Amino acid sequence: MSNREPRASGYFRSSYDQGLRLVETRTQWTSLILFLAVLGIFPFVASSFQLDLANQVFLACIGSVALMLLTGYAGQVSLGHAGLIAAGAFTAGILFKEFGAKFWVTIPAAAVIGALIGLIFGLPSLRLRGLYLAVSTLALHFVVVYLGGEYETKRGFSTGIVIDVPRIGDFVLRDRKIWYFVLFAFAAAALLISLNLLRSRTGRAWAAIRSHETIAEALGIGVPAQKLLAFVISSSMTAVAGALFGYYRGFVSVEAFSLFLSIQYVAMIIIGGMGSILGAILGAVFVTLLPYAIEYAVGLLPNARSYAGMLAAFNYAAFGIVMILFLVFEPQGLVGVWRRVQNYFLLWPFKQKPLGGGRK
Amino acid sequence: MSALLQVEKLEVVYGRAITAIQGITLNANKGEIVALLGTNGAGKTTTLRAISGFLGLDDARVTEGAIHFKNENLANRPPYLITKLGIVLVPERDKVFPNLSVVENLAASVPASGADRKRLEEMTFAFFPKLAELRARTAGLLSGGERQMLALASAIVCGPELLLVDELSLGLAPVVVEDLAQRLVEIRNQLGITILLVEQNAAVALSIADRGYVLENGRVVLDGDATRLKNHPDIQEFYLGGAGERRSYRDVKQYRRSRRWYG
Amino acid sequence: MQLAINIAVLAAIYALIACGYVLIYRVSRVLNLAHGELMMLSSYLLLTTASLFSGNPLIALGVAVGLSLCVGVLVYLFLMRRMTGEMVLAAVLTTVALGVLLRGLVVLIWSAQQQNPAQALGWVNYSLPVFGGRISAAGAGLIMTTALVYVGLFLFLRFTRYGIRMRAAGQNPLLAAQRGISLHVIYALAWGLSTLTGALAGILISLDSGLDSTMVLIGLKAFPAALVGGLDSLAGALIGALIIAAAEVLMIYYVDALLSDVVPFLVLILMLIVRPWGLFGTREELDRV
Repeated sequence: MSNREPRASGYFRSSYDQGLRLVETRTQWTSLILFLAVLGIFPFVASSFQLDLANQVFLACIGSVALMLLTGYAGQVSLGHAGLIAAGAFTAGILFKEFGAKFWVTIPAAAVIGALIGLIFGLPSLRLRGLYLAVSTLALHFVVVYLGGEYETKRGFSTGIVIDVPRIGDFVLRDRKIWYFVLFAFAAAALLISLNLLRSRTGRAWAAIRSHETIAEALGIGVPAQKLLAFVISSSMTAVAGALFGYYRGFVSVEAFSLFLSIQYVAMIIIGGMGSILGAILGAVFVTLLPYAIEYAVGLLPNARSYAGMLAAFNYAAFGIVMILFLVFEPQGLVGVWRRVQNYFLLWPFKQKPLGGGRK
Repeated sequence: MSALLQVEKLEVVYGRAITAIQGITLNANKGEIVALLGTNGAGKTTTLRAISGFLGLDDARVTEGAIHFKNENLANRPPYLITKLGIVLVPERDKVFPNLSVVENLAASVPASGADRKRLEEMTFAFFPKLAELRARTAGLLSGGERQMLALASAIVCGPELLLVDELSLGLAPVVVEDLAQRLVEIRNQLGITILLVEQNAAVALSIADRGYVLENGRVVLDGDATRLKNHPDIQEFYLGGAGERRSYRDVKQYRRSRRWYG
Repeated sequence: MQLAINIAVLAAIYALIACGYVLIYRVSRVLNLAHGELMMLSSYLLLTTASLFSGNPLIALGVAVGLSLCVGVLVYLFLMRRMTGEMVLAAVLTTVALGVLLRGLVVLIWSAQQQNPAQALGWVNYSLPVFGGRISAAGAGLIMTTALVYVGLFLFLRFTRYGIRMRAAGQNPLLAAQRGISLHVIYALAWGLSTLTGALAGILISLDSGLDSTMVLIGLKAFPAALVGGLDSLAGALIGALIIAAAEVLMIYYVDALLSDVVPFLVLILMLIVRPWGLFGTREELDRV
């Protein structure tokens, strides 16, 4: 920017290309590199427990980003996310148990199965909207979990499927530190894929469908195809997360994929903030860490021992309350809070955003 | 005696940006029929919504002025309480409950405190004998005119002192409209209800109204007795469809000027 | 014959629960996914009142049902009222969150062990012979209660002023407000009634087969019954409950017991494909979301 031009505070896009850029400003570059550096150093200073938390967050991130694509961007509500995670985990488990398939076979297989199931989940969306669609995905969740349970009992693994530690060549994925980098790579890949999709024609088509289906159709967007695509991509990513989850735990069982897990994922994108990838990540972090925070808080209570058996109940109650608080008082989620803080500092000492301006 | 309804310097803003009404002052005395005329976007419906408490739905709010009804300020009251006070709106469309029968539609109305529901129901059947014939019919199957009758009837069962009628003539045949207009006069005469009639069809409105206001761009540009308005050359030209000789474009300018003077 | 009796009892259960979904949906277009949890809460309330009024089982029962009605009204007043202007989906998710919260609270207050309210009331669940089969006393009670509730609701909605206003508010809330109907009163009433019928169902089920967190699943399985019949139709809920119950009992009997949890949802999917608005539902509802 030359000095003679009037200078406005804040960052403004002055060409369409700028709108398509992944990383826009120098500040963003700096913070991105700093952030990556912190993530890179983290495993070498963190305890094993902290590493486990980080790994869980990465897994949750993949799932929540996938759900955000579907619900937050394409506007298709799904209450069956746990079913898709189960599908991925069972694909990995069954392929391993039945055929002794390797890690590098099962993960792509999970992606393919996920895509197929996504197609099935997506079919109702061609006829149904909103509430009814949510209900149909809920029903499909039960069907997938039932099929998994059926496999477990029929094959005699009624407590669950044990999966061996995966190895790629001589490289054994046992250590949590190694898992950290693997999961980080997968999460980063999911993130990049999503961001790239969103800044392309597909992302704009989804946004159009979310705002108004009929108008989107009138603008020449193939609404059915784009809807199915959203389901397929989202489900495929989720299934991969599920397969990784199975490997990470070394164990797959239907009990892990209750309706509550679906609710947790929906909570992630609500608490994080609808229609924002950053929100999906923040939500994943929040929802994954919440139970541990509660465990810690309960531990601080006097005679904590007596509450130990009720930890799950505390979790449920606190989770319900947090979700209600966000829905009622902060529908924009954590991202909304973040933006408000950001705006506060950007605009300081002024209070009001100029009409229609400011950072969105 | 102060008027039943007094709207003073009302200003309504939609979504913080668009000023739909810019300082309207109007009043309605007890037992009067007052017509509110104007083209699309003049602010008629917004005025009605402001009076009946429905602005909040469209992210609109009253930024200035006041609405007094029986010397009470109506600002920020929820719609059902305004109805209880005695102001009932007959909306432009969706004015009956389509899946309820005629009788059930009437039963759904909550009468204002102190109103005698039995008597009111009998009165409505006297005003609209046709409704008595159709009492068991589902409202969704009624014709346009019958629906308007039912809408008026259910509004009357609420026992209003002020009836707000939005577009009585919308989508109805002229014969039906004339008939309905006469019923409104009867209702006024027998029940002493004040009626605020919002209309695009100025001929019908002025034929039954005592007084009228003409709105343009959110302002009152003309007001006065119905007869005076009817004979006003600008009303003749622009609202009653050129009863006089065709005018040139120059006169439109003149009309604009006169509008400014009146405003 | 026993099969037919089983179907009848299960259908009664589903119908009694489903009318709760229908009541709230019909009035406010909100799907109450916390219905199962509210049911469970009511049954636990019975457990408490049973120990408070020991020796007077009928009083305990009455107080528990009355409390449930209050719970429903309170849920509306303190939670759902805030969601009235919001998107329907946000409201539905709020009920989901409420359900999660209740699940936690119930365990915190009453512990997770299986309880037996029938014992607490001092009642024995006799098994009665009918038409060559057997039915438990609680099962018979269920069928009778369901019949009474449906007749009552039908009369209420058709002939009483508040019932008519409830239907009116469901069709066009704006117009209802213009006619002087207080929507908050109507919505609170719907929530109260819905919780009340849910409470009856929950209490009777717990009298029949004990009480623990599986109650939630029963509540959720009744939802397909409401949808198959058409979410805004009471008669539909009755028929839907019959269809779902018959499918479930027959599948368990002839195919596989594991199917029991999934059959209602399979029927639901089938229905959503063929006729999403349900057997007796209004078609326009679909676009209202």
